[in-house]
Amino acid sequence: MELLELHNITKKYPGVIALNDVSISFREGEVHALVGENGAGKSTFIKTISGAVQPNEGKIVFDGVTYDHLTPQKSLELGISVVYQEMIQFEAMSVADNLFMSNGSDAGFFVNDAERNKKTAELLEKFQCHVSPKTWVRELSMANRQIVEICKAILRKARVLILDEPTASITVEEQRRLFDVIRELKKQGVTIIYISHRLDELFEICDRVSILRDGRYIDTLDISDTDKQGLIKLMVGRELSENYPVKDNPPEKEVVLKVDNLSGNGVRNISFELHKGEILGFAGLVGAGRTELMHLLYGAAGIEAGTVTMNGKTLSIRTPSDAMKAGIGLIPEDRKWQGCFLEKPIYWNISIANIKSLCNGPFISSSKEAALADHYGQRMRIKAPDYRVNAGTLSGGNQQKVVIAKSLASLPEILIFDEPTRGIDIGARYEIYQLMIDLTKEGKSILMVSSDMEELLGMSERIVVLHEGEQTGTIERPEFSQERVLALASGL
Amino acid sequence: MENKTKKSFGQIVSNFSMPILLLLLMLVFSILSDRFFTPLNLTNILVQNVHIAICATGVFMIMVSGGCDLSIGYQMSVAAVLVAKLLSNGTVSVPVAILMGIAICVALGCFNGVMSIALNSQPMIVTLGTMAIFQGISYLISGSKTYHNLPRSFMYLGQGKLFGKIPLNAVIALVLIVIVGIILNRTHIGRKVYAVGDNPEAAKLAGLNVPKIKILVFTCAGILVGISAILLAARSGSADSSTGTGIEFTGIIACVLSGVALKGGEGTLWKAIVAVFVLGVLSNGMQLINLGTYPQYIAKGIIMLVSLYLSNKTAKKA
Repeated sequence: MELLELHNITKKYPGVIALNDVSISFREGEVHALVGENGAGKSTFIKTISGAVQPNEGKIVFDGVTYDHLTPQKSLELGISVVYQEMIQFEAMSVADNLFMSNGSDAGFFVNDAERNKKTAELLEKFQCHVSPKTWVRELSMANRQIVEICKAILRKARVLILDEPTASITVEEQRRLFDVIRELKKQGVTIIYISHRLDELFEICDRVSILRDGRYIDTLDISDTDKQGLIKLMVGRELSENYPVKDNPPEKEVVLKVDNLSGNGVRNISFELHKGEILGFAGLVGAGRTELMHLLYGAAGIEAGTVTMNGKTLSIRTPSDAMKAGIGLIPEDRKWQGCFLEKPIYWNISIANIKSLCNGPFISSSKEAALADHYGQRMRIKAPDYRVNAGTLSGGNQQKVVIAKSLASLPEILIFDEPTRGIDIGARYEIYQLMIDLTKEGKSILMVSSDMEELLGMSERIVVLHEGEQTGTIERPEFSQERVLALASGL
Repeated sequence: MENKTKKSFGQIVSNFSMPILLLLLMLVFSILSDRFFTPLNLTNILVQNVHIAICATGVFMIMVSGGCDLSIGYQMSVAAVLVAKLLSNGTVSVPVAILMGIAICVALGCFNGVMSIALNSQPMIVTLGTMAIFQGISYLISGSKTYHNLPRSFMYLGQGKLFGKIPLNAVIALVLIVIVGIILNRTHIGRKVYAVGDNPEAAKLAGLNVPKIKILVFTCAGILVGISAILLAARSGSADSSTGTGIEFTGIIACVLSGVALKGGEGTLWKAIVAVFVLGVLSNGMQLINLGTYPQYIAKGIIMLVSLYLSNKTAKKA
């Protein structure tokens, strides 16, 4: 039975048509995936359902009743809940208080904490989430925060639950638990609209999939009738021959970076060698210390013990500036908070790390600065009308290219890519992979942290696996397998 | 994609909202009072707001770097009473006294910067604390005394006229503002100040020494605050521990009014300076139409709230 139908939805913004005559219906108790590249219109579509966006044309039918549009209140009343990627919660309040903030069941004027905690504990238990109801939300992991949001939806008796990129920042183990939760909800007849960039997981959890491209509806398929290549073809409107470009330049014998028993920032006794032209992957669950290790190498955190040797010379890295001078560049994990200056122009972002070298005396030379931005902007193929627009106006993929350009401008020999393609659409991903390979051909070497198993296996030549701050193994390419990485990452 | 090279009429208006507001206010007061648009009164507005403009420049630097300084008023107070005490003792020459006045503000500004880094706490709260310390220092120096009879050569700084016409203090202010403007907009140091304010985490990972830049900004602001205190004392010919107090609020209001982002990283210096004169004209004009000090406070407060509303509205549009 169709529970929620959207008919001929069109949403126009000045200069852009975000949704163009899109019609999709959702059945009761199905897990329905929504896929499309960034900018395909997924967010606008979800916002139309949640009532945050009012369409210019079209109608919405929920449980047989027709609406021109929904408002956020109406949508909640109907039982539609969204778990956004960036969750908005009361950080300094307990899980129980978060759950019952808008679902108050207290009799009278006073909060019945005992009752709240008991109900919360029951709900959490049901989802294998073993945290105390009294824990502050800000102390929870991303995955547990998600569970809290889902519990909230259940308390509101949600009939439609929209999950926006739920697996973007959780570990494989947590993903498994999330899928159990989804299956449980499905059993109870809840309709789940599932949005993800990770196509593989759709085949594990979804019943049907709808594809959007450039604001248009492309198709709805039973997941069993398609495969990953088929989906990609529909999403990008062209065939991508392979997911990962071929790296046909094997690493050289020469060791550029040698790390011996490095400790600090929550990691202990890490040792590895990076060869010239190599892409060395770093695997681990969230909290295994991969980013922390990279921050050690980059001088963003203090080294407690151990040595870092680059080209035979022992480095003393205390600040990021030291690392940059030594020839190490970082493309940080969180583009928006650590990589980009969103409210500053593209050229400004590219030049900031080297601004001193673009000066005549103390004064910035606009022409040198523009030349640098042009050079790296074109090399990275940043798509923008003008390098004077703010980085925040670009798509995720182009923002990432700006961050890479910024790093490349300081001419690093070793590049650290921390989650190089998180939240980036398929077309741009491929470009970034190709670029990484091109960089190795120029003699640069790459350390790559990734939570995307396929990316790790597809791009790395060796993989170092961490578990709770310790190195549990190094895997050579011929031994690559998901199981092997997972086993080491879980400390088995 | 939006095209930023073509500017709409609305954008131009919002870019020049400060000068437009200034002209509008001047027009209104010219109509309401025939004493407003006279050379004498206009010169008065200028010389009365010069020290505020210098202070606002310091406030601007700090706010752009993502900080805030509530202690500026009492920094001025310390500098003013120190200089005045030294001069009235007659122990040191005028130039030495001036240098010591500036030096003490540099030290206090640096202290603010070091404290806000060392305590890793919000500069607004940190400087609320240092403000109390500076207040105490000021009264310890002055013993609640008011210093009069400052040397004529000192007072020339605040009252003198170049070629018998151009107020010297305004010239000093103009030079300082232009220098700071060039440093902020044309040099790598200025660029780094904006970067640190816009996104300290990204700035750190881009290899910038964030604490050093923040401390530098507080320290440089100290230079401006010291000069401002000296010009104020020189113009009024006297100083006590209330000299300059409360000025930080006018500075902050002017900056916010001109569109300096509260979180840092954004702002245009000349607009902030024009905003100082918007507030100055408002006070002067209200005085002339017999609305005294207290209604002026209310007007300033309302302007602050309205500008917050407007800046929120434009931020949402972007």
